[in-house]
Amino acid sequence: MTKLTINGLVKRFGDVVAVDAIHLEIDDHELVSLLGPSGCGKTTTLRCIAGFETPTAGNILFDANDVVGLDPEKRNIGMVFQNYALFPHMTVHQNLAFGLEMRGVAKTTMDERIAKVLETVQLRGLGDRYPNQLSGGQQQRVALGRALVIEPNVLLLDEPLANLDAKLREEMRFFIRHLQKRVGITTVYVTHDQAEAMVISDRIVVMFDGHIHQIGGPKDIYSRPVSREVADFIGLSNFIAARVAGKDGDGGYVLDSPLGQLRCDYADSLDDGQAVTIMVRPEAIRLEPAKPAAGTSNAIPGTVLERFFLGNIQGYRVTCEDDVMLQVQAEPWTEFSVGDSLWCVFDVERTWIIRD
Amino acid sequence: MTTSTPAIEDARGQGTGSWLRDNRTLLLLLPTLGLFLAFLLFPYLNMIVMSFRNPSTSQVFAPGYTVFNYFDAIFDEDLYYLEILWDTMVFGVGTTFLCLIIGYPVAYHLARTKSRFQNLLYAFVLSPLLVGVVVRCYGWIIILANQDGLINSTLRKYGIIESFIPLMYNTFGVGLGLVHIFLPFMILPLLGAIQSIDPALEEASQSLGASRTKTMIRVVFPLSLPGVQAGTVLVFVLTISSYVIPILLGGLNVMIMSTLVVQQLLDAMLWPFGAALAFILSVTGGLAVYFYLKFTSHFMKGIA
Amino acid sequence: MTAAVPRIRLGRVVYLGFITLVYVFLLMPLVIVVLASFNSGEFLTFPPEGFSLRWYVSFFDSESFMGSLFYSLKVAIVCTFFSTILGTTVALYVVRFSGRWREHLRLLILLPLLLPEILTAIALLFFYYNFDATMRALGLDMFVGLFRNSMVGLLIGHILITLPFVFLGISSSLYNFDMALEEAARSLGAGRFTTFRRVTLPIIKPGIIAGALLCFIISFDLFSISLLLKGIGVATLPIQLFDYVRWDYDPTAAAVATVSILITLMAIALTEKLVGLRSLRF
Repeated sequence: MTKLTINGLVKRFGDVVAVDAIHLEIDDHELVSLLGPSGCGKTTTLRCIAGFETPTAGNILFDANDVVGLDPEKRNIGMVFQNYALFPHMTVHQNLAFGLEMRGVAKTTMDERIAKVLETVQLRGLGDRYPNQLSGGQQQRVALGRALVIEPNVLLLDEPLANLDAKLREEMRFFIRHLQKRVGITTVYVTHDQAEAMVISDRIVVMFDGHIHQIGGPKDIYSRPVSREVADFIGLSNFIAARVAGKDGDGGYVLDSPLGQLRCDYADSLDDGQAVTIMVRPEAIRLEPAKPAAGTSNAIPGTVLERFFLGNIQGYRVTCEDDVMLQVQAEPWTEFSVGDSLWCVFDVERTWIIRD
Repeated sequence: MTTSTPAIEDARGQGTGSWLRDNRTLLLLLPTLGLFLAFLLFPYLNMIVMSFRNPSTSQVFAPGYTVFNYFDAIFDEDLYYLEILWDTMVFGVGTTFLCLIIGYPVAYHLARTKSRFQNLLYAFVLSPLLVGVVVRCYGWIIILANQDGLINSTLRKYGIIESFIPLMYNTFGVGLGLVHIFLPFMILPLLGAIQSIDPALEEASQSLGASRTKTMIRVVFPLSLPGVQAGTVLVFVLTISSYVIPILLGGLNVMIMSTLVVQQLLDAMLWPFGAALAFILSVTGGLAVYFYLKFTSHFMKGIA
Repeated sequence: MTAAVPRIRLGRVVYLGFITLVYVFLLMPLVIVVLASFNSGEFLTFPPEGFSLRWYVSFFDSESFMGSLFYSLKVAIVCTFFSTILGTTVALYVVRFSGRWREHLRLLILLPLLLPEILTAIALLFFYYNFDATMRALGLDMFVGLFRNSMVGLLIGHILITLPFVFLGISSSLYNFDMALEEAARSLGAGRFTTFRRVTLPIIKPGIIAGALLCFIISFDLFSISLLLKGIGVATLPIQLFDYVRWDYDPTAAAVATVSILITLMAIALTEKLVGLRSLRF
């Protein structure tokens, strides 16, 4: 299998820099997601890997071979497109055969391989259908099968689930995940859906404005975002502006904020007086009716402004001093009413610092 | 898939770089470009030059250049040519107006009908367009002919009339023919425009208390204005440059610019003068369309 | 409310009645021509006098009509051949490769639709005349009459008029074409030419067929261009018919017109069968 290396990739369209000097290594067997809002450069990066865009600068290596300048048809890639791009005038079987024909595979081998892949993507018996006779999910699997049957070096998926309805989309996440693990193919997966990226990926590459902000596992990205954009894009967050007051002796920091002194675990070194942003996830906040025992860190008094019920959580919006509003996701059986005074408490380990 | 994003635009235009740099793609363009430059643009330029040539009695034109072809046409003592130009414009506006009020209900019906005959009706609108204009005029000749046409001979047979009602070789015959021939050119753009109006807008209008008629006037018609504009311009331009219909249904009694021009060219062999007349017609028609478009675009704000 | 119901019904009847009348109006001349061609009398009256095929016999016996029919078919077929090839290739260029010149090229190619046909005919007539005069002046006598005395001049006119229709149909299929299909083919290992042959061409084929059939119909019916550009002594069917009905009401013309309608109908039916009538774009 193939190790994919992207080295200083730049792509400009006129004055617009779509991808700005990114570096990325993707190992054999690994599934890496490119995650970000539309226009962040994730699709352009994928198209550069596929060969549909010529990079302005940088290298793209399949193992040790630089593929920049190589036509897409010579790269041995498997690509799944957002709207599947199944050839409408060909049957499922013919769609799958297309790539094999281009490789001059003999007829008998071809049929064997197609049958095997149809089995894998659970489409046995549908070979004679035309794409417009298939459901969205089936078309999606044909597209996957067509990309896999040629046994490509890398598999590229461009928002492959965007056109499916919510239920099917969740199922297909697991389907693709399992398929990729079974086949063990190096895979790049472009999506703007954070949940999808978290379910499916070994590692997630979060991109904004052509830059990579963070590369890491789902948990990493969620709990320890390196920038406010990343924290904002993935899940809900509370942000509190603060200034570093000093070390706290436990390997963390003490910070001054409009809500009083807060503490936070943080390994990197920060200067005293440095302006930072404190991030707390809504589910990390505990609500307490009475003032917690003295010495409890990160306890903030507030008033319930709004409450809403989502089934698995009971949500609150709590106003605190200085007009700071905290979003809280509590257990569904908590019962505070609008106007109640309460205390928001969050653990030092679940408090994170983002450098501005 | 939209074409507006830079990435896709680029993929179409020059994405896989070598496509554009590949001079071989020019082979797709050059034969047609050559044909159009040599046999369309150049002949039109040549015609402009022709309209400034000196007239000649023995040849189609004489050496040297003049502006008198235009002067003769515009400052004719009897205003003969300007009157014909005026008649031509009247025919153009009249035909356009009639086609619009006849064609609109038909287009609306065809756009909104759920009848299983919708395709057949569409074919009915389309087919006259695809049958030659001479054949269609001939159909009208059989019906309208003054002595022995279907209407006159039938009426005479039953003793309703003594001699005949003049139905062709007059303005009526030409007008009827023009409206008939150009009606599909009005219906088709209207059809497209009305089909692109979301029926929910009509329902919204009715839910707010507007009657069907009010809905038509306040919602459907304003939204169909792009189609109205396209259809009216098309019919107007086709009418003022039509040749076959006035000749066959108007004979020598109805003279409009295009018949006059062809007469000057083929019968009188006055090529420079004919070319000048043709340009006077084109410029007048072009200006009329220009001001019409400017005027109507005021009412189309907010419509794509 | 109850009082309003009959009023609305009445309005609906008037509306549908009016629309029916318009359809009758649109189709009447065509129906009448067909009726007249089978009528035994010299003139059509109501009710018709009797059934006869004598006008068809007279048509098939007429050398000038049969000659012009075949000439028209020949011109239409050759014109369709060239217009379709040129229209397809230039549409490909304009949509895919023209870059910032796209709108200019589009306008140029659509020009024959925007300009009055009779003016284009006149311009070509002058041009051919000047061409002959120039050739004669240059002593290149072999080129004299190249356009005026052969089918070439007429054919060029027909191609100019019909090419925009082919172009419109094919360029709109190309604009609607999902580029991801080509990229999919490339990603599967197909080169540019294979991609075009195996993926692009089959998908835009309906547009090409519709364009070609429309081109045939238009060329077969074209009048003004043919009137001014026909070679000496040759006439297309519409010209022959025009000359005939100007001076003569003899229903032989009705037989000719009916055959011409039939040919058009066959082309329309073929379009509908192959690609659906709505693929015709204007």
